[in-house]
Amino acid sequence: MPFPLRRLPCFLVLALCCAIAWSAPPATEYQVKAAYLFNFGQFVEWPAGAYGSTTAPFVIGIVGDDPFGSMLDDIVRGESIGGHPLTIQRFEAGDEITACNILFIGRGEASRLERILQAVRGRNILTVTDSTGEEGREAIIVLRTESNRIRMRINIAAARANNLVISSKLLRPAEIVGETGT
Amino acid sequence: MSAGSTPLRSRLSAITLITTGVAMLVTTVLFLAGEVVAVRRSSLQELRILSEVVASNSTAALAFDNPEDARAVLKAFKADPHIVAAGLYDEQGRLFVHYPDNASAGSMPAAPGPAGYRFDGSSLIGITIVSEVQRPLGTLYVRSDMSAIYDRLVFYALVAAAVIALAMLAAWFIARRMQRQLSAPILELAATAREVSDRHDYRVRATPVGINELDDLTHAFNHMLGETEQNERRMSAQMSRLALLQQITHSIGSRHDLNSIFQVVLRSLEEHLPIDFGCVCLHDAANSTVTVESVGTASAALCESLGLAIGASVPIGHNGLYRAMNGTLISELDTGLVDAPFTRRFAKAGLYSLVISPLAVESSVFGVLIAVRRAKQAFSSADCEFLKQLSEHVALASHQAQLYGALQRTYDDLRQSQQTVMQTERLRALGEMASGIAHDINNSISPVGLYAELLMSNEPQISEAGRSRLATIRRAIEDVAGTIERMREFYRPREARAFTTLDIHAAIEQVLQLTEPRWRALPQERGIVIELRKDLAKALPAVMGDEVELRDALTNLVFNAVDAMPEGGVLTVRTRAFEDETGVRTAQIEVADSGIGMDEETRRRCIEPFFTTKGQRGTGLGLASVYGMLQRHDARLEVDSAPGKGTTMRMVFPAFVDATENSGSYRTSQAPMRPLRILVIDDDPILIRSMRDVLEADGHLLETSLGGQAGIDAFASSRGTEREFALVITDLGMPRVDGRKVAAAIKMMSPSTPIILLTGWGQRLLDEKDIPANIDRVLSKPPRLAQLRAALADLAGSTWSI
Repeated sequence: MPFPLRRLPCFLVLALCCAIAWSAPPATEYQVKAAYLFNFGQFVEWPAGAYGSTTAPFVIGIVGDDPFGSMLDDIVRGESIGGHPLTIQRFEAGDEITACNILFIGRGEASRLERILQAVRGRNILTVTDSTGEEGREAIIVLRTESNRIRMRINIAAARANNLVISSKLLRPAEIVGETGT
Repeated sequence: MSAGSTPLRSRLSAITLITTGVAMLVTTVLFLAGEVVAVRRSSLQELRILSEVVASNSTAALAFDNPEDARAVLKAFKADPHIVAAGLYDEQGRLFVHYPDNASAGSMPAAPGPAGYRFDGSSLIGITIVSEVQRPLGTLYVRSDMSAIYDRLVFYALVAAAVIALAMLAAWFIARRMQRQLSAPILELAATAREVSDRHDYRVRATPVGINELDDLTHAFNHMLGETEQNERRMSAQMSRLALLQQITHSIGSRHDLNSIFQVVLRSLEEHLPIDFGCVCLHDAANSTVTVESVGTASAALCESLGLAIGASVPIGHNGLYRAMNGTLISELDTGLVDAPFTRRFAKAGLYSLVISPLAVESSVFGVLIAVRRAKQAFSSADCEFLKQLSEHVALASHQAQLYGALQRTYDDLRQSQQTVMQTERLRALGEMASGIAHDINNSISPVGLYAELLMSNEPQISEAGRSRLATIRRAIEDVAGTIERMREFYRPREARAFTTLDIHAAIEQVLQLTEPRWRALPQERGIVIELRKDLAKALPAVMGDEVELRDALTNLVFNAVDAMPEGGVLTVRTRAFEDETGVRTAQIEVADSGIGMDEETRRRCIEPFFTTKGQRGTGLGLASVYGMLQRHDARLEVDSAPGKGTTMRMVFPAFVDATENSGSYRTSQAPMRPLRILVIDDDPILIRSMRDVLEADGHLLETSLGGQAGIDAFASSRGTEREFALVITDLGMPRVDGRKVAAAIKMMSPSTPIILLTGWGQRLLDEKDIPANIDRVLSKPPRLAQLRAALADLAGSTWSI
């Protein structure tokens, strides 16, 4: 998102203050969410058949507009999960969702969210969205912002439907839904 | 037990307790050390596990930046109170959350530091990398204080202390029980030892308890007791022998006759050694035998059968006796085995042990001590040694007894001699004194006697009555002279005066008559009766003597007898003829009384001059004069007396055996002789006058000189004239020129002229053998006319006559 130039001095002052206070520039919302996406790979267990081969990459798919820019690429560069190198796969709206492990559907795709989720249902794909509306209730993980903090809501039933095992460590700080339904 | 020492029990207890305590302490210290190591290791382990769990649970919180969740995870440390601080740092090393919540962030380290677990002072610090699927997400810092370990160690220490205490208590109890098994026998042994030393009873024995070393000790102790008991017994036997030896030595030391010594020795041996038979034999070198001198009281029964009665002789053959006589102690253990006659007699009597011990003084054996026992081998070497020593003592004592006897005899002889000498000396002194007195008295009475005789012989006109009175005067003078004579001649052993045959019985009658007032009249006045008994022998042997002296002696004895009977009694006069076994005949005259008697002291001293029991009434000369008279008569006085038993005085006269001519006696009748020319020299004018009167009455021609020198001059002047003297009578004791000088001078001038010496010292001069050769005759004063006439007749007849 572009910053208007006239507000730049204010931003600089603020950044300086933050730099003094935190000694690092404050992470933006998507910076944090990019890190979340990367971290999910470590707390979720995919079944062995989720990968085409042992050398097949671990794919993080992004549907529609990419709110991360290069932030996600920076994070995953050179990283691997369980011996599978990380790659980013971006899907245009309407594209068929091919093999991927984590699929992020941004707020911008809220209208199509339900359909997309429907399409990947049953496949070993961890669906993640930051759309907090009703439309994303079938997503496995919903990221929402709560008093400047990003919180997770995990649909256990959806995860189970996609044959994914979510680490209990991930479950503890998250809000759990869909359990009673099953 | 001494104050410084501790009892065995305490020591054993202490050893046990110290051993247990040290063992327990070492165990405990090792245990605690091990525990410390283990606890540290387990603490590390615990911290590691805890940290890793928390770290693992923190991954999501760190990964998804959820501090609440992280805090919740860290709250798990609450379960462990020792975790005092914990901090979770993110990947960049920034503190993410810390525990506990209320701790300030400043108390946490700014950076977590390298991973690992370490002890830092009193804390244990664990730093753990938080990672998920090998991806580091941050760091967990945990600090645990060590009080957990220390608490546990303190707990363990307390437990150990309690265990030690319990163990020690148990050990003490066990030790008490166990040590009783050890200490009880030792204490018992000690008690036994104490008992032995307290009571000196060495028969006690300690009992073995079944513990090797203690039993060894007990056996050694018992062995020692046995030795001590034996020694004790040996010593007490030795002591009793020594005591016996001492007792015997002491007993015989106070005895001085052989038989008594031997009796004591034998009796002591019989009672105390003891022996069954004992005797002492003395060596008879002349016959080569030993003679039994003494036999023990208890042995008396056996001595007959052994042929060893007192006085029996045993020949010294070549047997044990022979060797014993050579100074060897002989001990026969079994008399039955020895083939010697002397030894056999013991075997026959059933006495089988024999010891013959020589009695030797200065290596000369004078006898043997024989000790015998019934049993065989009954004399030990100690017994023999004892007998040998005893024999030496006995021999010494015997020797001393013999020496003592010899000494005693010598002493008695010496005392008798001394008494005799003293008596003689006393009589001699008395005699000398009496001589002096007698001289003066004789001088004084000489004229009285001479005149009385002259009157009687030359005056026919004197009436019968006057003649009788003159005779009385003359007799009285004679008695005075006789008394004086006897008095001064007490000690003289032999009376040269002529003795006549005595008519003893006549003398007795005369004396009894004369003394009748003393033994009859005077006592009767006081109401006392003295009975006279006469027991006169029919015939007495002839006895020569002086009747006057006999009468005097009898008178003295009668007076003494009367004085000895102040309460009356019996006066016995007895005569008897006696002939002893050697044929010596004596006539004995006894005057006995039934009076108070004399004790030994008085009896011994009664004849001493001046010794009297009559106080003021006695002169002490009575018995002395009797003794002197008897001495002169070769007679002796025997005195039988005891206090209360009366006294018997016995005069024992030797019988006259050689009836030679009575040469010494003077003729009582004298034929008229030729007149002689006589020179009389004296320093006493009265005597000269009386001599002149007397001799001129006999028809002699007398010249007199007063003093010795005058006499010599008169004799010298008469030489060669018709006035020459046929005879000289001179006094002995004169001033300046005495009778001896006169006689010497006259004999020088005319050796043939006889000289008669008149002396107041009379017979004493005769005895002293110092009569000058030039004296022809000595006459004592007062001269009796008869003597004078006899002397003149003898001398003038032999020489020259007018």
